[in-house]
Amino acid sequence: MSAGVAPVADAVQDPAERIREAARRLVEAGDCAPRPARDPVNEPMINNWTEALGDANPAYPGIAPPAMVQVWTMGGLHGQRADDDPLGAMTRVLDEAGYTSVVATDCAQTYARALRPGERLAVRARLTDVAGPKRTALGEGWFVTTVSTWTVDGEPVAEMMFRILKFRPPPPPPPPRQVPRPQVNRDTAYFWEGTAVGELRIQKCGECGALRHPPGPMCPRCGATRPGYVVASGRGEVYSFVVHHHPPLPGREVPFVVALVELEEGVRVLGELRGADPGAVRIGAPVEVDFDRIDDELVLPAWRPR
Amino acid sequence: MSALSGAASVVGIGATEFSKDSGRSELQLAAEAVRAALDDAGLRPSDVDGLVTFSMDANAEIAVARELGVPRLRFFGQIGYGGGAACATVGHAAMAVATGVADVVVCYRAFNERSGHRFGRVAAGATAAPTSGGIDNGWQYPVGLSTPAATVAMFAQRYLHEFGATSEDFGRVAVAMRRHAATNPRAWFHGRPITLAEHQASRWIVEPLHLLDCCQESDGAVAVVVTSTARARDLPHPPAVITAAAQGSGADQFTMTSYYRDDLTGLPELGLVARQLWAQAGIGPADVQVGMLYDHFTPFVLVQLEELGFCGRGEARHFLADGGIELDGALPVNPHGGQLGEAYIHGMNGLAEGVRQIRGSAVNQVADVRNVVVTAGTGVPTSGLVLAVG
Amino acid sequence: MAAAVTRAPGAPPAVGTELPALRLDVTATFVVATALATRDFQDVHHDRVAAVARGSKDIFLNILTTTGLVQRCVTDWAGPAAVVRAVSIRLGVPCYAGDELVLGGRVAAVEAAHAGGPEGVEVLVEVVGRCGLGDHVTGTVKVVLP
Repeated sequence: MSAGVAPVADAVQDPAERIREAARRLVEAGDCAPRPARDPVNEPMINNWTEALGDANPAYPGIAPPAMVQVWTMGGLHGQRADDDPLGAMTRVLDEAGYTSVVATDCAQTYARALRPGERLAVRARLTDVAGPKRTALGEGWFVTTVSTWTVDGEPVAEMMFRILKFRPPPPPPPPRQVPRPQVNRDTAYFWEGTAVGELRIQKCGECGALRHPPGPMCPRCGATRPGYVVASGRGEVYSFVVHHHPPLPGREVPFVVALVELEEGVRVLGELRGADPGAVRIGAPVEVDFDRIDDELVLPAWRPR
Repeated sequence: MSALSGAASVVGIGATEFSKDSGRSELQLAAEAVRAALDDAGLRPSDVDGLVTFSMDANAEIAVARELGVPRLRFFGQIGYGGGAACATVGHAAMAVATGVADVVVCYRAFNERSGHRFGRVAAGATAAPTSGGIDNGWQYPVGLSTPAATVAMFAQRYLHEFGATSEDFGRVAVAMRRHAATNPRAWFHGRPITLAEHQASRWIVEPLHLLDCCQESDGAVAVVVTSTARARDLPHPPAVITAAAQGSGADQFTMTSYYRDDLTGLPELGLVARQLWAQAGIGPADVQVGMLYDHFTPFVLVQLEELGFCGRGEARHFLADGGIELDGALPVNPHGGQLGEAYIHGMNGLAEGVRQIRGSAVNQVADVRNVVVTAGTGVPTSGLVLAVG
Repeated sequence: MAAAVTRAPGAPPAVGTELPALRLDVTATFVVATALATRDFQDVHHDRVAAVARGSKDIFLNILTTTGLVQRCVTDWAGPAAVVRAVSIRLGVPCYAGDELVLGGRVAAVEAAHAGGPEGVEVLVEVVGRCGLGDHVTGTVKVVLP
């Protein structure tokens, strides 16, 4: 907390309200104490800057590049924020509330006049605005705006509005689901090609029309080796089911239900029954096909209540 | 009666201790169990000319033969479909012996199923194999049905629905197995019986299966020695005569997921095995004194009782409630405690217990045993045996 | 490195006049040299490992440099006699080492200079600086031309 600014009372429970209250107090506290630059405006540092940035403007180093104003008061290699630095104080408040990530969004500098070697700068800063919580592409966050004023012997020579977004990093995306992958061969490819396009395909003998699942290359009824398929309606009833608790399985959270479903067409197909309370599943329950997309190459048949 | 019936016998049984961390390689476990079985049979490695195991076993016949110093093998093979292979190893051995292809065949199963690869975990790569099995798994694993418990739970839910059974009916199997194991010093759960309330309070694994509906996970190995019944007469122990041996796979059969048949409440592949067993042995369910029923998960014990004909369809819960599978019940089941109580050695420890019951040497010995029926893994293509007093 | 002063002295510029583009190869050396010349010692402007650890793809330009480059874009055109009165910028995407930054300007307004300040015309120039990711900076510079 910034020196002289009382901490927000613990009684304020709502996190957003706590942030707003802390911001109000910091805004009211106004400017922090001026912090002097380590060195006066000087030619060697100007030359280092123009050399690094490739800026050949002949006005330098007679005057300092205006955009260099912040350089003079940087904290340096071992620098630490002053206790009363309002951005540091607001950052701590937001860190504690879980908005731990930061990205700068805006920086607007205005220059009253050019600076010449020998001038000694000081900077002071104040918090002007904390806005949020806002949804952003990076995650929920708060925009924190400060204004810094540079002076030479009390004369304001430059000002900078600086805005950052303090945001709550979104949870890392879940790792890709790893499930055992079916082996696909010429006898079974039609089925997996079907699930990939949202069709539950059932093998149908090209000769006698017998439906069959799981499929095979030769019709056990007529002996033909001309299997085709029909697209099932996808509707059926639970013929039997299990609720898996142990052991943990890759790609699934326990408990989950696997159902053996008898389709309207009369064949049975296994799949996970999703969207159902495991404790309420019953044999005979009406279900319809669902498709469980594992990745771009594998879509599993599944069921949902209907 | 078939040509196979009675031609061969189990003359030796051997096992390692059953643990959660054997501390040695699976090959060592296999070699120790085979050697123990040969010692029990009064035979030497040089007598062995056949080896049979599960296709899931990590120890090739030639590796076991190297460790034992078996100089020549005339017959060897591996049976598929997980625990469904258990009785079939002996069945194949008996066929080899009955036909003169081999004289002494040892069947073995060895694994570190607890400290090493655990079947209850999701099998990485189950869908990757470029095989019909890999394709089959693609209908099941990706959608989240990917453990043995889950695949059995799907059958169990339908069974409960159709027959009005409850989780407590499954629980009675677990309670009985743990009661039997409690008095078996070799059992992992020796001295640790459970109550039905404890079964009901145990956490869900995959509804409708509680933790205590699922067998344990074990490290260990079991081996049995098969030779001709004629030669068996000269060996130290009374033979367990193989009066029937059968395999079965039903219509539209899958491994653990035969969900596309009209009915989900039965195990038609086991029904097929049962009909063959009774026909080969010339007996019926009423002639059996002990059932060694594969109990990786409780629900299929009920279905096995029904498929084998010990009770009618959907009637197993009454059979259980009446104490039917207790040591003094109508059909004592798994007096050693089964895989729920003793150890999970893919059915082979039950097979060994069947031999002890025939010999009269079991810790929980049933009186006047003449015939024992043994089953193998359920939900998969399976197998069975009838062992009889010689 | 310096661009030629291209504005013809004497006549005030017309609204709509386009300034010559200022193209800059933003090398790592450029990012570091300008950061230090502006006395900005934050590690994301000179330490690639630190920048990557903080989620950036590389070190990137600091704000004081961007402000100075916007000013330069205008003074390169306006000449040494021009008096810079204000630089106002809005920041967009970061400009990483290895990128190219192209600044361009357009005269948006020309009016008589305010009393009390330097004599001449006050020119408002709109400046946009684009890099590979998009607009790095948009802003205005107010200069008084004699």
